[in-house]
Amino acid sequence: MTFDLVLSGSDLLLLAPEIFLTIWLCVILIIDFSLKDLDHEKLAYLSVGGVLVTLITLMWFDYTGVSGTLFKNMFVLDRLAIFFKIFVLLSTAFVILISVDYVKFFRFFRGEYYFLVLMSALGMMFMASANDLLSVFVTLEFSTFGFYVLVTYLREDLKSSEAGLKFFILGVFAAGLLAYGISLVYGATGTMVFGEMASHQGSYGLAIGFVLIFAALGFKIGAVPFHSWIPDTYQGAPTPVTAFLSIAPKGAAIAILIRMFYVALATFKPMWVLLFVLASILSMTYGNIVAIAQKNIKRLLAYSGIAQMGNILIGLAAGTKRGSDAIMFYLLTYLFANLGAFAVVIGVSNLIKSDEIEDYNGLNRRSPFLAAAMLIFLLSLAGVPPLAGFIAKLYLFIAAIEQELYALLIVALINIVIALYYYLIVIKKMYINEPHDPTPLTISTPLKTAVYVGLAGTLILGIYPKPFIDWAVAATLMFSNLAAPTASVPAVTSLVGG
Amino acid sequence: MGAYALLLTLFAPFLGALALIFVPNREALLVRMVAATAAGLSLLASFYVFFAYDPDQAGFQFVSRYPWSEELGIAFYIGVDGIGAPLVFASTILLFAGIFISWHIKDRAKEFYIFLLILAAATIGVFMSLDLFFLYFFYEMSVLPMYLLLGVWGSHTKGYLELTDEEGKKKRDSVGFILNFAANSKEYAAMKLTLFLSVGAVCALMGILLIYHFSPVKTFDILVLREQAQFSGTLATIIWLLVFFGFASIAPIWPLHSWSPVGHAAAPAATSMLHAGVLMKLGHFSIIRVAFEILPETTRELMPIAAVLCIFSIVYGGFVAYFAKDTKYVIGYSSSSHMGYVFLGMAALDYISLTGAVIYMFAHALATGMLFAMAGWVYDQTHTRDIPSLGGLVDRMPFVAGCFLVACMASIGMPGTVNFIAEIMIIVGSWEKYPFQVIVAVLGIVLTTGYLFKMMRGLFYGRLSPEGHHAHDAVGIVDRLPLLLMIGTSIAFGIMPVHFYNVVRSTVEPMLDRINQVAPLITQNSTGLLP
Repeated sequence: MTFDLVLSGSDLLLLAPEIFLTIWLCVILIIDFSLKDLDHEKLAYLSVGGVLVTLITLMWFDYTGVSGTLFKNMFVLDRLAIFFKIFVLLSTAFVILISVDYVKFFRFFRGEYYFLVLMSALGMMFMASANDLLSVFVTLEFSTFGFYVLVTYLREDLKSSEAGLKFFILGVFAAGLLAYGISLVYGATGTMVFGEMASHQGSYGLAIGFVLIFAALGFKIGAVPFHSWIPDTYQGAPTPVTAFLSIAPKGAAIAILIRMFYVALATFKPMWVLLFVLASILSMTYGNIVAIAQKNIKRLLAYSGIAQMGNILIGLAAGTKRGSDAIMFYLLTYLFANLGAFAVVIGVSNLIKSDEIEDYNGLNRRSPFLAAAMLIFLLSLAGVPPLAGFIAKLYLFIAAIEQELYALLIVALINIVIALYYYLIVIKKMYINEPHDPTPLTISTPLKTAVYVGLAGTLILGIYPKPFIDWAVAATLMFSNLAAPTASVPAVTSLVGG
Repeated sequence: MGAYALLLTLFAPFLGALALIFVPNREALLVRMVAATAAGLSLLASFYVFFAYDPDQAGFQFVSRYPWSEELGIAFYIGVDGIGAPLVFASTILLFAGIFISWHIKDRAKEFYIFLLILAAATIGVFMSLDLFFLYFFYEMSVLPMYLLLGVWGSHTKGYLELTDEEGKKKRDSVGFILNFAANSKEYAAMKLTLFLSVGAVCALMGILLIYHFSPVKTFDILVLREQAQFSGTLATIIWLLVFFGFASIAPIWPLHSWSPVGHAAAPAATSMLHAGVLMKLGHFSIIRVAFEILPETTRELMPIAAVLCIFSIVYGGFVAYFAKDTKYVIGYSSSSHMGYVFLGMAALDYISLTGAVIYMFAHALATGMLFAMAGWVYDQTHTRDIPSLGGLVDRMPFVAGCFLVACMASIGMPGTVNFIAEIMIIVGSWEKYPFQVIVAVLGIVLTTGYLFKMMRGLFYGRLSPEGHHAHDAVGIVDRLPLLLMIGTSIAFGIMPVHFYNVVRSTVEPMLDRINQVAPLITQNSTGLLP
């Protein structure tokens, strides 16, 4: 296999957003080094500006239908990739906004913080375009390196170091699994490109290889049983990094999962459906039940995040176009609700220096705005109409019932009630309990902006989701012939070639 | 015109809630005026809708339809039939009255009105949804504000749940205590209510998803499903049971009722009114809208379940109400007992009894609304709801005592109130099919008389208790208006029920013809209890 790296102008266009972001993050770094006296808040707005420009470029690409592949099919730009790139960039802009106040607590390296965030974002943009196993590995590691540093940013804090260490060791282990899985798959099929694998016979090598790859990606999205790093890392990491970690890498990993299982493994669907059903049931149930016992809001959101990933896996378990549409819509609603909730958490913790749920007592009396915002975000996560989370959950359920996954659906419905319970506990503390210290709380403008954006997203996606659903549907048009029935194909034998 | 009136009925409270967000909390009067204006607009619009409904035309009227998501087969599709129209009307009356009843709330009044308006708007939304998705959407939406209304503005039920008999031995509401870990707080009541109703809701959601999946057209449109979906066999039974018990948990049918009295007791007066008045009717209404319309044959086969369970509702609720010592607990259990009558009327699947059941829902909304409003007034004035420690309040508050008497009469089913008409129709209509239940129901009326008069005597007659020394009567227009509105409506329909009867009957007839598989009558309203 030889690579000829000749890039024409139209090829460069496909890479333009990534190239622009690369230049931009270098500029940020240079400004930080050369202008020592510059207020770091300005760097943040500069970063947001760069991200928004990239975002608008991608929207224009989506509108005009720019698409194509590069580097022997390693890199693909289609509407699916564009959707996830926009998703990643949206969450990056959000995260930078909610970081502005928090970064002031860092004693060193305030400028590099934005650089690292942008670099991780760049890695995740490449993840959304990964079209063969090699680029999956490279882009996945690329995006994770930034996070290894970001998680340990609070150098004096033991918890932050512990979080970083746990994240690093398990991350490296997952990378090992991924590499091993890739080698097995390559051995079985002789190719790295997703599209070419589809025509191959099933074999044990292929099966085990893909289970290993799924495990590595399961680590990324934090699905049970690969979730063990999540609570400690979430608790220890700086809160904006936690927020970033809770949404962007998950979205990018879901992009890879969709592309890999829908394109490369479409013919073996009966086999992997079971894998996703199990992971989904375990994630939802474990995440929700353990979340009940949490005393720290970041840990609560960590476990609720595990459960939300369980919900998302319902769509992959359905394995249809409807399933992937539902996942994408769900991710959008999750972005606004989850990042909004984290924005409130940061706002509160900046002021009272605590993440304990106990300290949310009487938040409604101290800041009606923050309490109302948190109420809406938590209820959206719980899936209560008329908020976005409800439509997203229903969309997933429709995808599941079309594939007649009744057991999964029943577990998911029961989990709605369990989840409601612990969200209501937080709401109870905010609204019903009286505050220990009734001084009013006010938050800064960038945080307020982030909360408003989150509120707008949660309400608009809930009340008028049509354009967003249509966007998701259009992004996955290439899967429209995928809706083959599951029941007729004998399950295990088709994958192992028997 | 009519379609816009219906939209206004639904959206006026929502817009009111939205407007309240921008009103500062310290402008107490403005907050109340905005809420009252929104509720008033909604009331006027629904008044128009109810009287403009044309019974000769029957069917769904004032329909408007806006596509919401073609991808999922969902449209924002609203309209009312002869069952929805009176219930929408009842919701707006209770909302309007509830705004005035809670006029004196001091703590976070703005938030209170926002949640109250959302709660009412969501219930109104259920009564006019012609799309299963939006029916569920509004249904679930109405449950959540209850949590905060109970939790924040409610009152503790501690000490009131223990029931003692004459010798002072403790009695317990067994089912209510299974899940009650000795926590009689309002937080407990709120959480129990929310989780109980959410479990019911997800059961119903499963049923709705099954309907969606197995219908030949992938749609949530109730009218299309009614024409085209044919369910039979085990599948139909499963769907019917999920839908019935899912929605019946809010109705609440025995043995799924235990959340209800606890919730009533903990809730502030206006919330209790809406809760008992209209929220509970969401259950019956949704069963009629989903099970009766889409699964007619299964309904015919399985509705006897309701006929059996309603006996327990009536008797059990009545007896607990008789022995309870907390005013709101008495009224709460009386409500769950009275909901048994509605189930009896529905179970008989007879023109007269089902018409009676629908009128009963309306009548009960008014009667129980009045009772809760006045129980709330007494509690505000005396700070206790314990009947034995109260007495002689008639001297302090003659107006409230008089209204209370009227409300009791209405609740019992005194001729002259709309409750009488409803009750007699249920009894007459069900006699042929369920004579035993009818006998129980008639004895239940005797029981109702017993516990309501016992409460009346305990609160208002006898020696004036120390708690009542500083109690005041409702004198201002603000305090009297809601009571007079509800009493006036109850008596007006009690004397002139013809339009009401025609409206309900016009919808009930074709529905039951489908269920009982008889050829439609040639002329509607040709025979009936009333001319």
